[in-house]
Amino acid sequence: MEQQSFQQPTNPPTQPKNWLVESILVTLFCCLPFGIAGIVFAAQVSSKWASGDYAGALQASKDAARWTKIGFFVGLGLIVLYIIAIFGFGFTAFWARRNNYNY
Amino acid sequence: MNKFPVYKFILVSIAVIALSLLYFLYPATNTSFYPACIFHSLTGLYCPGCGSQRAASALLHGSFSKAIGLNILFVLCIPLILYSAFAYSWNVFSQKKMVQAVFYSPLFIKIFLGIVLLFWVLRNIPTAPFNWLAP
Repeated sequence: MEQQSFQQPTNPPTQPKNWLVESILVTLFCCLPFGIAGIVFAAQVSSKWASGDYAGALQASKDAARWTKIGFFVGLGLIVLYIIAIFGFGFTAFWARRNNYNY
Repeated sequence: MNKFPVYKFILVSIAVIALSLLYFLYPATNTSFYPACIFHSLTGLYCPGCGSQRAASALLHGSFSKAIGLNILFVLCIPLILYSAFAYSWNVFSQKKMVQAVFYSPLFIKIFLGIVLLFWVLRNIPTAPFNWLAP
C-alpha cells in the first residue's frame, strides 16, 4: 500500500470511482442525509486527486462508496419494512398513511 | 472507468423498467400507497428528494410543468442521470471506455453540492417565492 502511493506520482492510474451519480440518486430517492455525505466525499475524491493526494483520493472513494451504500440499503430496508407493515397490519396501515402522505 | 458487470446491468435495467411501469400505471399522489419520505414523516420538513415520486409519475405522463412544481432539482438531474446511464451502458458493451468527465470535475461537484444544500434550505421557507420549491 505504502509502496503503491510512492509509485503513483510517476505513473498515476485512473481516478478512483467517486460515486457521485449514485449519491445523487440516493439523495433524490432515499430521502436520507447519507446521499449528501456521499456527495461531500465525491467532492473530496476529485479535489484530492487534482492536488496529487492519491492515497487521500482512494480513501475518500471508499468513504463515498460506504455512505452511498448505507443510504441505498437503509432506504431499501425501510421500503421493505413499509411493505411488510402494509401486509402485516392490512388495510389499517394503508388507510392511516393515506391521511398524511407526503413525499 | 470501473468495470460494470453484465449481470448488474441486466438487474438495474429490469428494476428501472419495472419501476417506470409501476409509476406509469399507478401514479404517486398525495394519497397513494407508495412509502412516504422518512425525513418528512419524522421532522415535518422537506428533504431535497421530497416530491420526486410524484414528479417521476408526472414526467412519465408527460406533464413537465407539474414535475417542475413538485421537485425542480429532480427534473434538472434527469439529463445528468440519463447521461450517466448511457455511459455505464456503453461501457458494458464497448471495448473503448467512456469516461464521465463532468462528474469528476471538482468545481462541478462543489457547485452541485451547494445547489442541493441551498435547495434543501430554501424549499422549507414557508413564504411566497420559496414555497414554490416545496412539493
